Amino acid sequence: MVKEILIGVFRIKKFVVSFSILAGIILMGVVGPIVYAVVPYKIVGPPEARPSETYPLGTDAYGRDLFAQVLNGIRTSIYIGFLSAIVGTAIGVVIGTIAGFKGGLVDDLLMVVTNIMMTLPAMLLMILVAAYIEERNVLYVALIISFTSWGWIARGVRAQIMSLREQQFVFMSRMAGLSDVKIAFADLLPNMASYVFMCFILLASAAMLAEAGLSMIGLGVTSGYSLGTILFWARMKEAVRRGLTWWFIPPGAILVATTTSLLVTATALDEYFSPRLRGS
Amino acid sequence: MNEFGVGKPLLQQFVDFVIRTLKGDLGTSFSMYPTKVEDLIFSHIPFTLGLLLPATIVSWILGNLLGAFAAYRRKTLTDNALLSTFLVLSTTPYYWLAMLLVYYFAVTLHLFPAGGAYPITLSPSLSPTFIVAFLSHYTLPFLSIVISAIGVWAIGMRLMMIYEFGSDHISFAEILGLSDRKIMTYAFRNSMLPQITGLALNIGSMLGGALLTEIVFNYRGTGYLVFRALVTNDYPLIQGIFLILISTLLIATLVVDVIYVYVDPRVRTGYSER
Repeated sequence: MVKEILIGVFRIKKFVVSFSILAGIILMGVVGPIVYAVVPYKIVGPPEARPSETYPLGTDAYGRDLFAQVLNGIRTSIYIGFLSAIVGTAIGVVIGTIAGFKGGLVDDLLMVVTNIMMTLPAMLLMILVAAYIEERNVLYVALIISFTSWGWIARGVRAQIMSLREQQFVFMSRMAGLSDVKIAFADLLPNMASYVFMCFILLASAAMLAEAGLSMIGLGVTSGYSLGTILFWARMKEAVRRGLTWWFIPPGAILVATTTSLLVTATALDEYFSPRLRGS
Repeated sequence: MNEFGVGKPLLQQFVDFVIRTLKGDLGTSFSMYPTKVEDLIFSHIPFTLGLLLPATIVSWILGNLLGAFAAYRRKTLTDNALLSTFLVLSTTPYYWLAMLLVYYFAVTLHLFPAGGAYPITLSPSLSPTFIVAFLSHYTLPFLSIVISAIGVWAIGMRLMMIYEFGSDHISFAEILGLSDRKIMTYAFRNSMLPQITGLALNIGSMLGGALLTEIVFNYRGTGYLVFRALVTNDYPLIQGIFLILISTLLIATLVVDVIYVYVDPRVRTGYSER
């Protein structure tokens, strides 16, 4: 069974290409810093050296190794992306499920909060919250991103729950005397698995971009490197105006490659597992 | 110190802030004392709106047209190529694209200036020299927002069009033997409606992106102001900017909602029947 699915999935060209890119980048982030053990914030060579054999991506304005920074940056960015996606999706699913299942006043109250979160621009909220926190570690940044971007997931989950709860099998469970919590987790959530999975992926890629945006203006992690902080330093040191292409192109290109391949991989899987979407 | 009410209890400070804000007084900036916050914001916000609104509209129109074209050529090489481009564009951050554009057009080709909203030697006026200088500074930030926003609109439009092509009324039109052009118009008009809703939902994220783009370009808008306020811990200014930006955004969302009533006859009749 598992073997059949794997063979089927790996026949989709789109999936194979995007998945290899994604796996490659994740591998670079996870194993890279161990294999290429150069300390990213240590001065190792001449400033602003072009990419060469000793410095695969060159060095920055202080002579720190950019390849080491990028490897560590991938690790931080992916970590923040997935952590925010886990927390954000969890908040959205819990609020959406309660609102959709309970209805009435609980629903109204939760939806007021959700609508406020959806209307306020996430990026502005993130900037505001991040500006008031002095020391920002990876966890804080991930939490700031997830707390500001769960609104649309709650809305979507609520809509799904509201249509699902009128289905016959839910009535059956109710007649069998199952508790609300059990119905929600055993009957409703499995039916939305693919939707929640897509939400998770979308949120992960949005969170990676949001992290880079925050870091770009100096509001990301205060210690360590993410793809955004490399761009921040490149901007502070006028890398663009002085033509230091090896400094500002790789982090952005890797960011775009990661988020794009993540989205394409997820879409390909979604199409494979829900035949209705095939061919469109 | 008295002016900022620092010694008072927090609740008192908050009540004071709300009352002052309702009177239209956002306080005094810390870093640019004694300039009033509202004066700072109102001298910067025209630049942000002047950048954001045209860029949103142009990218929305271009994205819809390109998405519709990709859907028309569905299952061909053109569609595949277009879709991949849209996907990459939709995940390209505005500010990174801005860096690439500055590098290519400003640093390598020297076609456009690399930053600023206008040359520091000129002061804002309606003279021809100022307008030309302003437009040449405007081009790169404008392009970076338009190009990276196209992807999102085009992907949405392509999907809507493909659903439309599978619907009964389009099949009926095909059986009747209507021209491709006519069928495209029908499908396009129906697909536009969700895109207008998308416009209302996406203005917020476009604003966030535009603020970051302004920072990259040192463009004299509110994004640049936010950045300066953050660096100098200018809290009255930060609060003021956020208040004004969010209100502006809510007004924009309201305008889109009203437009929707005019565009979609079903919404209109739904309201009048009540």
